[in-house]
Parts: sequence; structure tokens; C-alpha cells
Amino acid sequence: MSGELLRVDSVTKRFDQVEALSNLSVELAPGTVGLVGPNGSGKTTLLRLLMGLIPPSSGRLSVLGLDPQLEPLRVRERVGYMPEHDCLMPDLSAVGFVSFMGRLSGLSREVAISRAHDVLEFVGLREERYRKIREYSVGMRQRVKLAQAIVHDPPLCFLDEPTSGLDPEGREEMLRLIGVLAKLGGHSFVLSTHLLPDTEGLVDQVLLLNAGRPLAAGPVSELLSQRSTETVVRVKGDPTAFAAALTAGGVAVRFDGSDLKVQLPDGNTRRLFEAAYSTHTQVRYLGPSVRTVEDLFLSMIGGGSQGSGP
Amino acid sequence: MSISAPRYVQSTVARVGRPWRILAIVEREVVRRATWGPLFAVALTWLIVVLETVVNVYFATVTGGSIGAAFETPYNSVIWVLFLLIVTATVGAGSLADDIGSRSITLYLSRPLRISDYLTAKASAIGTWLLIAGVAPGCVAAAITAALGYVSASAALAAVAGCFAVGLPTAIFFTGVALALSSLTRRSLYAGVGIFGTVLALGVSVGVVAGITGNNDLLYADIATDVQSIGAAAFGLPSPYPTDPVASTVVLALTGCVLALLAWWRLGRIEVVGE
Repeated sequence: MSGELLRVDSVTKRFDQVEALSNLSVELAPGTVGLVGPNGSGKTTLLRLLMGLIPPSSGRLSVLGLDPQLEPLRVRERVGYMPEHDCLMPDLSAVGFVSFMGRLSGLSREVAISRAHDVLEFVGLREERYRKIREYSVGMRQRVKLAQAIVHDPPLCFLDEPTSGLDPEGREEMLRLIGVLAKLGGHSFVLSTHLLPDTEGLVDQVLLLNAGRPLAAGPVSELLSQRSTETVVRVKGDPTAFAAALTAGGVAVRFDGSDLKVQLPDGNTRRLFEAAYSTHTQVRYLGPSVRTVEDLFLSMIGGGSQGSGP
Repeated sequence: MSISAPRYVQSTVARVGRPWRILAIVEREVVRRATWGPLFAVALTWLIVVLETVVNVYFATVTGGSIGAAFETPYNSVIWVLFLLIVTATVGAGSLADDIGSRSITLYLSRPLRISDYLTAKASAIGTWLLIAGVAPGCVAAAITAALGYVSASAALAAVAGCFAVGLPTAIFFTGVALALSSLTRRSLYAGVGIFGTVLALGVSVGVVAGITGNNDLLYADIATDVQSIGAAAFGLPSPYPTDPVASTVVLALTGCVLALLAWWRLGRIEVVGE
């Protein structure tokens, strides 16, 4: 797939006094996009704008080269949407529901039924597809939601918190399915999530939002290669005292599990060993930090838990 | 859980137009509402209208009475209106409220459908039920009387036209009431009680106020009086009712349309996609 996937030009969206999105501008190419930010950061508002469900207060948007305000139906024909919350039709079987959704997207009855069987098999619900949705577990419901989003084979899918409510195994399976679809080509995904690890290894572009404002946008590889100056330190002894000594010396430190991530201003490790000597701790590991989208996000919003305890 | 590697086959089929998408919702909605309550109300309406009409027409032919009056009998009683009200409350109450409550409205409106398409489909489904309950039994009764040789084919056709003349504006009115009240709540029970209570309370209160004040124009707000007035005119009988049948038809149809517009306005303000 080539060309432009999404373009957002100076978009602001206000709800009464609340500014949900503030002067957002971003351009994303086809692929898998992580729309990342904490709850209330404007992710869902952006999805609603992109589907033409609400108008922007100012600015312009483009989805697959179409303006969602001028041609909302053409946009929604080309888009699949997996909502975050539970909004399925419990009185229907999975195959009945997914084929109904296919018909609403413009498939004929016969094609919709055939596609429903295909996509339900793909998401791993082949055996359970004739059961009523009300009997399904949370994980199965999430799979049905994914199936209805791809039943009409849209070139672009918006997945809103696809791993919400899933156990670790279900989460991995869901991310694996999205990964399989993404690798097929011909499909682009916008994965909206506040669970930053969900994006690792899956998305090739990311849009970080916080409080309605863009923090960063672009290819993950480019963003992660910037500002990669952190060093991972593992110590034997009291890491809190070690971190406090570093902080007192003007070095930014944050805890990452049992590790410390240290921002050395000049790249000189001498300060680490001085802090270790003064706090009677031993440096047991020292190495460059492998940056993740989560690291990027935390550094963008101000370093997260710098200097605080684990 | 699948034990095989996921396999995905891409689709390249042509899409059908909006009318087919709307039809999909109509089909689903008509079938979805076929529960014991509405089916029982419809069956009872059929039984009453068909039996009453056929028997009355038979006696009219035997005694030389008015055939028009015999066909008009079911619409001359508040029973017909009451049963249609029951059908409206049981079928229409959950029409929008269920989708708003379960948030499945998100799924409808994130598809290539406008709110007006969605509402058209819902209105068509309610209307279908109301026509099955309100118009079809009169038409079937006319066909039976013609088949039994009680009336001529042309008289039966005139009776069918009369059934539509009464049934259509009534169906439009009740559809509008159902859509408007169903759009105001997330619970179909509240909408059902609202539909029943509003129509009954309005009919009783305007009857009382019109009786006290002597202002018969108020009776246009009473659906039973409107139906009786239209019914008499539709079957070619002199109307003993204080309301004008043409005006009653316009009042019912217009009220239904205005209430449907209210539902459309209300749906436009519902949060879709997120909370």
C-alpha cells in the first residue's frame, strides 16, 4: 500500500469548555499506527473525528485521501472499527452478528455469511460461532469485535483498546492476530491504547497524545533512535540510596523494575561509580538502554518517576 | 480456541448500496421483535378484526344492512387502537432504547450509514409490525368476505382501501411516538410505559377537558377519536364524530413525522464510539 493513510491539519476539538484535542497536526503513512496516550488524552475523540462521526471545531482531516466531514459514508465503507466497550448484540450468534455487520458495510447476504465464517475461523471461534454471544467470555467477545471490524476487509481498521479486559494469554493472542493481519499487507491499523507495551513490536508508526496535545508522531524506529542516551544500571545494595546520591549530583534517574535508568549528561560513567562508592553499593550491570515506546512516552511527559523509589 | 495457525483470506467483492444496508436492519429488527408479547397482541387483533368483520358483513348481507358500516366496525371501537398501542409499546419501545442501552448503536453508526438511514430502518420495522397488526387483518377479512361471496370484489377492494386510509396514518403516528420515546431512554421498559401512558393519558385528559370546555378541537389530540372519525369517512359513512377526518389524518401523520424528527435530533446528540 502506498500514499497517505491519515492527515490531520491543525485540528482542534472542543466540547463546551473542554478542549479534547488541541491544534493537532500529523501525517501518517500506511502501516500499523499506535495511537498512544493515557485515558482522556483525546484518542477516542480523534477516532470519532476520523470516522466523520463528529466535526472538528477547526482544522481539516483526511482518511485514505477522503475528507471524513464531506464523505463520511465513503470513509466508513473503507474503515473497520473495533470499539473498546462491550456493545455486541447478545441475542445473536457470532456468525449471525458478524454477517449482519458485514451487510451493514455493504456486503450482500451470501457474501456476508461466507465472510463471517472465514473471519470467525481466523479469530479462533470456528467451533463456537453458532453460540449466542451472551454465552461468550470476555476474550471471545473481543475476538468477535475484531471479526466484525474486518468482515468487509477494510483497508484501514481502527482498533480501540483491543486488549482491554483480556488475560495475558488472551492479550498475546489478540496482538498475534493483529500482527498476522498487519503482515499480510493491504491493511493498515490504528491501534488506540493506553497500554504502551501493546504497541511494542507491532506498530511501525506512533502518535503519542497527552491531554489532547501531540507529544510525538512518526516512525517508531526514528523516534526511538532519538534521545537514546539512557543507561541501564543494576546495583547490589540499596538502590534507593544509590539513586538519591545520583539525583543529588544532578543526574536524572528513574526506576524500571529493579533496574535504574540513568540519564548521564555527558555520557561519563564516573559519577555512577562515585555514587556507588559513597552509598556502599556495587554496580553489577551497566549497559545502554534499549528504548521502547513506553520509555519514549515517559521521557516526553517529563521523565515519569525520576528520582523516586521503585 | 483455534489450534491451527490463523488463516486470512482477503475479499474483493463489490458492495451493495445503502437501501440494502437499511433493509438488513429492517429484517433484523422485524425478526428480533417477534417475541411472545407482540405476537400475542397481533394474533388477538387479527382474531377480533377478522371475526368481527366477517360476521358483521354476513349479517349485513342477510339483513340488508350497510356493508360499509360492517367493514368499519373494528375501527369504530377503541379496542383496535388499544391493541395497536400494545403492539407499539412492545415492539417499538426497545427499538432505539435497546441499542442505546447496549451501546450497539456505536456499531450501526460506525458503518456507512447515516442516522437518518438507521432511523428509517427502525421506523420501517415498527411500521411493518403496525401494518401487520392494523391493516392486514382488515384486508384479509375483506378478501374472505369476497371469497365467501358476501360482497363483490369491488366492494372488498373499497374496504381494503378503507383499511389503509385508517391504518396508515395511525401507523405513522404510533411509529413516531415509539421512536421519540425510545430515543429518550436506555431502558425499553421505561419507553414502553411512556408510550402507553402518554397516549392513554392524552386521550383521557383531552376528553375530559373538551367535555368541560366544550372545545371539540381538543379532541384532535385523542387518537381514538381521530381513528373513529377517519374510519367513518374511509368506509363512506356519515361521521358522528366532532373532528374532521381529513384534519385528523393530517394531525396523525404530521405528529408522527414531527416525533420521528425529534428522535433524529436526539440520536444526533448521543455519544457514539466512546463514553
